[in-house]
Amino acid sequence: MDKTSAPQKSLFKRINKPLASLKLAVFIIVALAVITAVGTFVEARYDAYAAKKLVYDTWYMYGIMGLLVINLTAVMADRWPWKKRHAAFVLAHIGIIILLAGSLLTWKWGLDGSMRVGIGEANNFVQTAETDIVVYTSFDGDRYTKTLEQEVDFFKNPPTVEKPFIIPAYEGEIRIVDYKKYVVPSKKVIEGEVGKAGSGLRFQLQNDNVNVIEWLVQKKPGNLVSHNFGPAQIFMGPAPEKPRGANEIFLTPEKDGLRYVVFQKDSDKPLKKGFVKEGDVFDPGFKMALNFRVLRFLPAAREDWDLQDSSRPTPLTTSAVKIIFDGKENWVLLNDMVKLFTTNSVYLLTYGNRRIDLGFNLKLKKFEVARYQGTMRAAAYESLVEVPDFGEYLISMNEPLKYKGLTIYQASFQEEDGRPVASIFSINHDPGRFLKYLGSLVLSLGIVLLMWFKHLDFKLARKTGAGTKES
Amino acid sequence: MKKIFLIIASLLVTCAAVAKPGDLLKSMPVQDGGRIKPYDSFAKEMLEIVYGKTKFEGRNATEIVLTWMLSPQAWEGKKIFEVRNHQVLQAMNLPKDQRYFNGEELFANERFTLLRQELQAKRETKEKLDPYFQALQRLENQFFVFQEIAAGRMLKVAPPKEGDTWLAVADLPEHLQAKFLDVTKAFVTYLGVIAEKGDSSVSGKALDEAVAAFETAAQAENPALYSLGGKITAEVHYNSFHPFRWAYVFYFLAFLVLLLVWALSKESLMTAAWVLLGIGFALNTYGFGLRMYIMDRAPVSNMYETVVWVAWGTVLFAAILEIIYKYRLILVAGTLVAAFGLVIADFAPAVLDPSLQPLEPVLRSNYWLTIHVMTITISYAAFFLAFGLGDLGLIYYLRGEEKHQAQIKAITTSIYRAMQIGVAFLAPGIILGGIWADYSWGRFWGWDPKETWALIALLGYLAVLHARYAGMLKHFGMVVTAVITFSLVIMAWYGVNFVLGAGLHSYGFGAGGVEYVSAFVAAHMLLVVYVSVIRQGRGKKATKES
Repeated sequence: MDKTSAPQKSLFKRINKPLASLKLAVFIIVALAVITAVGTFVEARYDAYAAKKLVYDTWYMYGIMGLLVINLTAVMADRWPWKKRHAAFVLAHIGIIILLAGSLLTWKWGLDGSMRVGIGEANNFVQTAETDIVVYTSFDGDRYTKTLEQEVDFFKNPPTVEKPFIIPAYEGEIRIVDYKKYVVPSKKVIEGEVGKAGSGLRFQLQNDNVNVIEWLVQKKPGNLVSHNFGPAQIFMGPAPEKPRGANEIFLTPEKDGLRYVVFQKDSDKPLKKGFVKEGDVFDPGFKMALNFRVLRFLPAAREDWDLQDSSRPTPLTTSAVKIIFDGKENWVLLNDMVKLFTTNSVYLLTYGNRRIDLGFNLKLKKFEVARYQGTMRAAAYESLVEVPDFGEYLISMNEPLKYKGLTIYQASFQEEDGRPVASIFSINHDPGRFLKYLGSLVLSLGIVLLMWFKHLDFKLARKTGAGTKES
Repeated sequence: MKKIFLIIASLLVTCAAVAKPGDLLKSMPVQDGGRIKPYDSFAKEMLEIVYGKTKFEGRNATEIVLTWMLSPQAWEGKKIFEVRNHQVLQAMNLPKDQRYFNGEELFANERFTLLRQELQAKRETKEKLDPYFQALQRLENQFFVFQEIAAGRMLKVAPPKEGDTWLAVADLPEHLQAKFLDVTKAFVTYLGVIAEKGDSSVSGKALDEAVAAFETAAQAENPALYSLGGKITAEVHYNSFHPFRWAYVFYFLAFLVLLLVWALSKESLMTAAWVLLGIGFALNTYGFGLRMYIMDRAPVSNMYETVVWVAWGTVLFAAILEIIYKYRLILVAGTLVAAFGLVIADFAPAVLDPSLQPLEPVLRSNYWLTIHVMTITISYAAFFLAFGLGDLGLIYYLRGEEKHQAQIKAITTSIYRAMQIGVAFLAPGIILGGIWADYSWGRFWGWDPKETWALIALLGYLAVLHARYAGMLKHFGMVVTAVITFSLVIMAWYGVNFVLGAGLHSYGFGAGGVEYVSAFVAAHMLLVVYVSVIRQGRGKKATKES
């Protein structure tokens, strides 16, 4: 405002005039309306994340916002020095600027994330919408060190074969060559590298009442993996000397088949022993007549994803990236990891949402859902949480916990078989909150005052008085 | 507030006293949809689901629904299932020009099993259901509701000794079973007498006695859960009295009188107009208060309730502006759009669900919700009034603007005022929504389609007000924008739920009425274009002549 000193005043006013023009204001308002309207259609077709990435978080949206601030500032500068009758007008317009300043603070330094806490468990990580690639390197297969952590926005800038995202590794480089926004993943098992990968077994358990078909895949050779199907448990891996007192089948992979040992409940001695190959069937000898069939046996196997493309997001879809390392391809789903081997080193790559350590544990002691009578419809739900230095607090819908500058809200919950298993909180830190409230107050005050101040109508009458003859 | 409720309650007691014999069944408490409601409401809602209307062949839902259970076989050949979606009719190999079908035609059809599997497969992908699948879902629901009622599993009439899920007729313990049998026997006798058009007072009394005996027995099971309180009676009264129907009748009468005042300058009729308007407004308020009393919350949680609230606000704003400006035409527009809104609400139950529903968890027990929703929707009332005025303005332009300069000027001033009122409510309303969102979710603004469209509507009207201020819009421009900009409100109010259907809530919504609403908007756009063309033509002619 120092430019308004006497000799330059008229020049400033002249420069300021077009920026303060009402026509520009109308253009800005209409442009804002059109852009946000497009955003809602994008959200309806895809989801909120897509709308944010494609419409609300873009240079043209920020451009219009910037223009709005310039226009608002100019229009107020144009009326300088302010008189009493300008009060309503100035309040309404300054209110918007304060509001936008508050939004800017939130956007720059705010935190908006979510946290899932299982019932009886604790968590200290907030998950946000940003995505990161993290690589850990190990030379002995045991101790890993973080060698890379980088933010990526594949939604806006997807990698391609021509323009891959390259991560240098100790030996060679990891190339990310493809990105899919929406895929429905399903697991599949393929042959792995002999010596590094564990074994894979697809088996069938069958009698008149039961028909189970499952895969068992060892992460490493010699690992023990299991499948529990209620009356019995199936293990793949080394068999123990002594049973644990349940119905168990142990299958130890060998070069062209599996050696099996069957233990029966409450018996110390093995019930049965033998050797099976792919395609073989045997009866474990339990009281229930069961057939165990080896459908497929891979001495070296690893799990991979079968991805089915989807044009839109659904609760079942996720995103995935394709990486190439050492000539081999791998798909990695969002919030999943992959292990990559060379002869000398192991790399562990994760692609997922950023996790921010809060520095304290949020413990979920109890979670309760109240339902509308006689239905499964949730009427209300609440979490009893515990945080250090504060103790217990009951978070319920619309009754958040405010703690260490964070606001912890009850957002949702997870259910399995009609029973809640975890509570989902939204965790926010909003440095712009004060400005937003102040701006809102000032703006509302201005708008209501505008109704009372008649000067607007006088001016209008003057202008349109001349205009009506042409209309 | 308590006083109002007391007055309502005493009114109800008087109403209950004059109820005719046989009506006690209507107020028998039933548990359904997460609350206790009178059998009257239950029956209406169930018939609505199956048949799409609350009456079947002129008979009340209360008579129909119970007979589904008593003699399902009597309903076998009756065409009581409504199917509207053409795609579904085609998939079922049914004639497209028919809307009502019997159970045999629909559910014995092997296509029905196939379509159910198709629907199930679609549900498993968890994608949004398009109108075709929503229609299939409705068909499945119709089947389910009829089957469950016929089997006695849906009508829950007695509280349990423990827990809070009431017992359905089929699960009643023996002593209650016997009492309920008495009700059904008396009911059948009563229906028989009515069918023969005989005197139903004796059989009606017998039915009332049987119902009362059953209610006493049911209450004894768990007195805490079973209430026969004023709310049940209030709801039956609300169902039968239909306050909003009476309100629009009076609004329309007021409109007709005002038309005389306005068109023929019969100022003497103004008192009559005010009286009619006042009665309509009182009835509108009364209905609103009744819903509030029954549900213990401000009734602004769904489309139907907001339409009623907006109609109320339109009349209020029109009356205030009329008192200030005395233009007469403000009230003409106000009564017309208010009556229009209430008629739509009354005749389109498939789109605007009038049933009383419990709230979603996030909406419960929060006064911010009430304040912010009421503030935003009341602004729609002001814009609705501007829209009605815009329509009147267009008519004046058609009739010749030279002759009607004064009227047009009055209309533009009124439009400008109405828009100002709207903006003065909408902007703070959106901000209140932000405060509520911040308080309950920790974010002031989240680009949710509903809030975004409210903002777009606000921006639309702000653009109009600024353009008017800048001299970009003259009288004709104001009339046109009053009509066109209201489309933004329609989108924010109706379109977001039904057209975009974004968010998880789309599951519960139907896509009902889109064609009608689109036609309404399109017709107004066409009208605007038509008037503009005519006006330009006249303008050219005038310049040639001069």
